[in-house]
Amino acid sequence: MDVVQNLVTTFNFILQGVWVTIGVTLVALSVGLVFGVAMAMARVYGPPFLQAVAAVYSVIVRAVPVVVIIFILFFVIARFVNLSPFWAGSLALGFASGAYQSEIFRGAFQAVPPGQMIAARAIGMSKLQAIQSIILPQAVRLALPAWGNEATLVLKDSTLVFVVGVPEILRRAQQVSARTLEPFMAFSVAMLLYLILTLVTTQVLQWFERRYRLQM
Amino acid sequence: MKKHIVMSMLLIAALLAFSACTAVQPAAQRPGAAPAEGSGKLAQIKAAGKIVVGTSADYPPYESIDADGNFVGFDMDLIRAIGERMGVEVEIQDMPFDSLIAAVQEGKLDAVIAAMQATAEREEKVDFTIPYRMTKDAFAAAQDSTLVMEKPEDAAGHSIGVQTGTVQERWVQENLVATGLTPADKVFSYERADQAALDVANGRIELLLMDAEPAMELAKQTGLKILLITESTAEGGKSIAIPKGASDLKAELDRIIQEMLEDGTIQRIQEANGLP
Repeated sequence: MDVVQNLVTTFNFILQGVWVTIGVTLVALSVGLVFGVAMAMARVYGPPFLQAVAAVYSVIVRAVPVVVIIFILFFVIARFVNLSPFWAGSLALGFASGAYQSEIFRGAFQAVPPGQMIAARAIGMSKLQAIQSIILPQAVRLALPAWGNEATLVLKDSTLVFVVGVPEILRRAQQVSARTLEPFMAFSVAMLLYLILTLVTTQVLQWFERRYRLQM
Repeated sequence: MKKHIVMSMLLIAALLAFSACTAVQPAAQRPGAAPAEGSGKLAQIKAAGKIVVGTSADYPPYESIDADGNFVGFDMDLIRAIGERMGVEVEIQDMPFDSLIAAVQEGKLDAVIAAMQATAEREEKVDFTIPYRMTKDAFAAAQDSTLVMEKPEDAAGHSIGVQTGTVQERWVQENLVATGLTPADKVFSYERADQAALDVANGRIELLLMDAEPAMELAKQTGLKILLITESTAEGGKSIAIPKGASDLKAELDRIIQEMLEDGTIQRIQEANGLP
């Protein structure tokens, strides 16, 4: 009975970290999406200078461990703008994810046959109009499977924001195990919660994929 | 395209260099600026009405989080009592131990209380208050031992176990062996303290000298009894870390800690948290 009691307390305690994890993941994915799409557009259709900026962003950010980016953003940038740990951590994670997402969308943009852009321009669309109405709808569909993978990676990378003091699932598990001296139970609960979150994310994205699949 | 890549690389290098320069600046300004007017760290804290204190809440009985999510433990009770005497609210922020010093340096935290010892490396980065709790050592013996100890030197002549390379081993060598009180062949140096504890329990050696807190835990597990808890064999103590150059804050905290050591407040909080 004691074990059940312990398990319930442990579970309830760690459960409060789930909202933090979900919050961090949603903010990071949205920020990353904006960065990623913008950078991919700049990379594929932008003028040479923007192409170079986007390429450098992608190369440098992907070369640096995410935890280092979070550290730098929290301790250097937050010196000028006072950000809470949650926002600093989430934005930093989003900034990092943006680089990976830009590669996903670059691949997707490039997979749309170039003839479509030429055709759109030939019927009088501006470059931006063509991207918006012709290229983007197709590219997003192509990007979805890889993007779903990135979403689960960001979900798990959300554990890293604890370096700046955001108590997400993993930190809560550490706190419990320090108190109860039962690390196995604490980390099993954490594992279970991550598994549930990942499964839900994958299912939702698969639904999107099916819903918006192009019919041949 | 090539030219643009080189250009933006240069741009980023320049940005990084710029942020590195600005990173050094505030630290260089702080010590000079702080004592000059009433804009020191202490004044800022009083003006804000709260002190932001960092800890790493995974080290009971010093700091941990209870099932309801509250910060509990000796350090937590102590810092709240200190905040009360300063007349400010205490906001506690949980961080990994390794991030704490950086967060103080960058002004994210006003202070750190995390059972931290003032080492030379840390003192290059932050300042420390006077110790609020000295490190203590314990002499343990088998349950049926008739030995009575009132001071560490009472261990003279008895076989004693210590852990290799520890301050306790050095103390035994310097104060018992070098002075001729204990023959060198009665000192046993173990790789791990629990191995020494087992030998004490089995009667192979008479005494064990080690850090007091793990000693009490070990004593419980292996059925030893603690003969003496002392500060005089140990070195150093636990201090609160504060930003470099915050001399007004240091003076205030030192004063309160001294006061609490003298009026028995710290003793009371220690006992309430089961610390020797």
